[in-house]
Amino acid sequence: MAYGEAGAAVSRKVLLHVGCPKTGTSYLQDVLFRNQSLLREHDLLYAADRFDAHFLAALDLMTLPWGGIETEAVGAWDRLAAQVREWHGTAIISHEIFARATPTQVRRALDSLGDAEVHVVLSARDLVRQVPAEWQENVKHRSHITYARFLETIRDPARESRIGSWFWAVQEVPDILDRWGSSLPPERVHLVTLPPSGSDRGELWRRFSRIFGLDALPLDLTAERENPSLGVPETSLLRTINERVTSIIAPPDYRPLVREVLAHQTLSRGVASARLGLPPDAHAWARDLSRSWTAVLAERGYDVVGSLDDLLGPEPGPFADPDTTTAAELLAPALDAISALLVEGARLRAVEERLHEELREAREERDHARATPSYRVRRKVVTTLEDSPAGRGTLDAYRRAKGRIRG
Amino acid sequence: MTGDSSASAAGWVEHLRQGGTTPWSAWPDRTAPAPGAAPLLPGAQQLELLRRINLARGSAAPDQGLADRVLATTAAGRGKADLPLLGLPTTGFGPAPVDPATVGAHELLRVASVLVADDLVALGADPAPARWARPWRRRFRLVGDPVLATGLREHLRGLGRPEGGPRPHVVALGAPLDELLARTWTQRCFEHGSKPWAEWLRFWRERDQLPARVDLADSVRRWHPRRPLVRVVTDHDRLPRELGVRSLPSSLARVPGADQAELARRVAAVVGLRVPTAERPSLMRTLQRRIPDSGVAPVGVPARERDWVASSAARMTRQLTRAGYPVVGDLADLAPRSAPAAVTGADDEQVLDLAIRMVVDPAWRTERQVRQ
Repeated sequence: MAYGEAGAAVSRKVLLHVGCPKTGTSYLQDVLFRNQSLLREHDLLYAADRFDAHFLAALDLMTLPWGGIETEAVGAWDRLAAQVREWHGTAIISHEIFARATPTQVRRALDSLGDAEVHVVLSARDLVRQVPAEWQENVKHRSHITYARFLETIRDPARESRIGSWFWAVQEVPDILDRWGSSLPPERVHLVTLPPSGSDRGELWRRFSRIFGLDALPLDLTAERENPSLGVPETSLLRTINERVTSIIAPPDYRPLVREVLAHQTLSRGVASARLGLPPDAHAWARDLSRSWTAVLAERGYDVVGSLDDLLGPEPGPFADPDTTTAAELLAPALDAISALLVEGARLRAVEERLHEELREAREERDHARATPSYRVRRKVVTTLEDSPAGRGTLDAYRRAKGRIRG
Repeated sequence: MTGDSSASAAGWVEHLRQGGTTPWSAWPDRTAPAPGAAPLLPGAQQLELLRRINLARGSAAPDQGLADRVLATTAAGRGKADLPLLGLPTTGFGPAPVDPATVGAHELLRVASVLVADDLVALGADPAPARWARPWRRRFRLVGDPVLATGLREHLRGLGRPEGGPRPHVVALGAPLDELLARTWTQRCFEHGSKPWAEWLRFWRERDQLPARVDLADSVRRWHPRRPLVRVVTDHDRLPRELGVRSLPSSLARVPGADQAELARRVAAVVGLRVPTAERPSLMRTLQRRIPDSGVAPVGVPARERDWVASSAARMTRQLTRAGYPVVGDLADLAPRSAPAAVTGADDEQVLDLAIRMVVDPAWRTERQVRQ
C-alpha cells in the first residue's frame, strides 16, 4: 500500500488496455494524453511524452518494424514499464496493437510490471462493424485489396495470409483474452463492449470512464484526435488510388499525403455517403461467429462493462458494395481529393519558397563578407596551392597552426 | 496424434533443448503430464528453428543457453502469430495448429533474423580504422557505386586519406547500370534496410527515376564542382590514380551475395528496434565485413526490368555527355551488360541456411581479424 497526492492510501494497480483496434481507442488515448497532469493529481499515471508513446512501446515489446517509425521505439517498452513500476497509484497503459502480442510477449509484459495488481482491459465491438472497419484501416495503410477479396481472406480458416493472420490476432476476442488473461483471475479481466449503433454517443466514454476510474474527474474531453471512418465511395476511391501509388510512394510520404491529407482530412468529411456494411452471407457468418464467442465469454466470468449482447451486431441492412462503385459515384470524392492535394501542393510550394528565400539571404550575406580585396587575394593563393601536393601540405600545416584542422 | 499430447509436447521441447532433432510428427513419448499448470509452449516457428539448429550443430554438445534463447525469441514483424502444435488440445480460437516441419523458411527467418540481430548488437560495432590525415593527400569526394564507395572510404581513411577537404575532385564510380542498381540495393540492406529487391526495382521503374546514388549525373551535380574537378570513372583499373594512391585491394569491389543481402535486410529492421538510429550504420557495416560467405551470386536485374534499365542507362549516358565531365574509361560501359540473371533474388531456404550457420557458428563474431 502506498500513499497518494492527498495522503490517502492507494493501491498499486496497472490497467493494461490491449485492444481492439477500431473501438474508440484513439479518442481515449488522446484524452488520457492531454490530461496527464490532472490524472497525476488523482494518483493516475498515463506516462507518455508524445501521443504515440504507448504505440512505440508496443512496437518495441513485439519487435514490430512499422514503416520506419520503429526506430523511434528503441527501449520504449522498458522505459514505460519502469515508470509504471515506480508509480505509487494506478497506471494506465493503452494501445490497441497490444492485442496482437504472442503468449511469450504477454509473459514478458506482465513480468516487467512488477508486483502491482494487473488488470487487463479489452474494448470490443461486434464483428459486423469491425470487419468493414478493418478493411478500411487496411486501405488507409496502403492496401489495395478489394472488399470481396478481403472478406474471402479473413474467412480462410487457415489464416495463411498476412492480412488474415493480423486481423484475427487483433480481433478474435476470446483468443486475445486467452493470451492476455489466462494468468489472471477473471475478475481482473475487463471486457468493455461498444454500444450498438445509434446509442447515446456518450455511452462508450461512460464505460471507459468507469473502468479506468475517470468518473468525476474534470477532464478536457474535447475530441482532438480521432480515427474517422470513410463512406463507401471514399474508401473505394482510396483503394483505387492505392493501386496506382502504393508501389511508387514510400511510407514516409504516404502517411502525410494520403492517409492524413486525403483520408483523414478530406475524404472522411463525406458524412452523407453510404456507410460500409457486410454483404448478406458475410453478415450471417459474422453473427454466427459472434454468437459462439459470446457463449464462450459468458462462461469465463470476466467483468463485462456493457453487455455481451452488444457483440452480436446489428440486423442486416442495405449493402453498398465498394467493389462496384461507379465512376459517377467516385467523381465527387475524386474532385475533393484533387483540390486537397493542390492546396497541400501550394502550401508546400510556399514552404519551399520561404526556404529558398532564407538560403538566398544567407548566400548574399556570405558573398558580401567575401567581397573584399584581401579575401580575393587569399582565395587566389589557396586555390594555387591546392593544385600541388606540396602546396596542399603547406596549407595543411598552416591550417593546423591556426587550429582549423584536427589531425 | 493420440495420447496426452501436452505432456508429449513438453517432453519434445525438452528433447530439443537437449539437442534433439526428432520431428514433432515422429515424437513417440506419451508420459503423464506434470502436476500443475501446463507449461507455456513456444510457437511452432521457434521449435522448428531450434530443431534445424540442432541438426546444423550435428554432434556438438547441447547448448541449453542457445536453445532457451531460440525458444524465447519473438518473430520479427507482421506475419503469423506463434503457431500451436498440431495434435495438442485447442480452445478453438487462435491460429490453426501446424506440424512444425511444414512451417516455411520465410516464417523461420522471422525468428532467426532476430537471433542474428541480437548477436550483432551484443558484439557491437568494429572500430573504424583511421590514421592521421596526410596533408599532401589528393582531396576527393566519392559518389556512385555504394558498395565500392563504402569500401574505398574506409580503406583510404585507414591510409590517412579521408574523403573530403577543400575543393575535392568529385569521383563518380560508374558501372553497368544493372550492376549499379544491384549494388545500391545490396548496400542499402547493409545500412538501414530496404524493401525487397523486386519491390525496390519496381518502385524506381514505375517512377521512371533512378535512386540518388545510382544517378551519377545528379550525384555529381549535388556537389557543385567545377568541371575539371570531376572524374567519371568506369575503368576501375585506373581508379587508384584518381584517388592519389598506387593501388587498391580488389576485395573492395566484392559484392555480397543475394542471401547475405536479404539476411542483412531483415537484420537491419530488427537492429533498428534495438539501438538508436545513429548506431545502426556502424553495426550493419560490421555485419557486412563479418558475414560468412556462402558463394551465392549477388542479386541480378530480372528480365522484365531490363528494357527500363537499358533506357535509363542511355539517358544517364546522354546527361553525362552533355555535362562534359572528364571520363576515365568509356561511358558506353554504363550500359547494362550482364545476361538476364538466373538469380534475381534470394531464396528463403538459402537465407535461412546462412542465418542458422551464423547462429550455430560464432566464428563471425569471435574472429579478431576483420576482412576488408
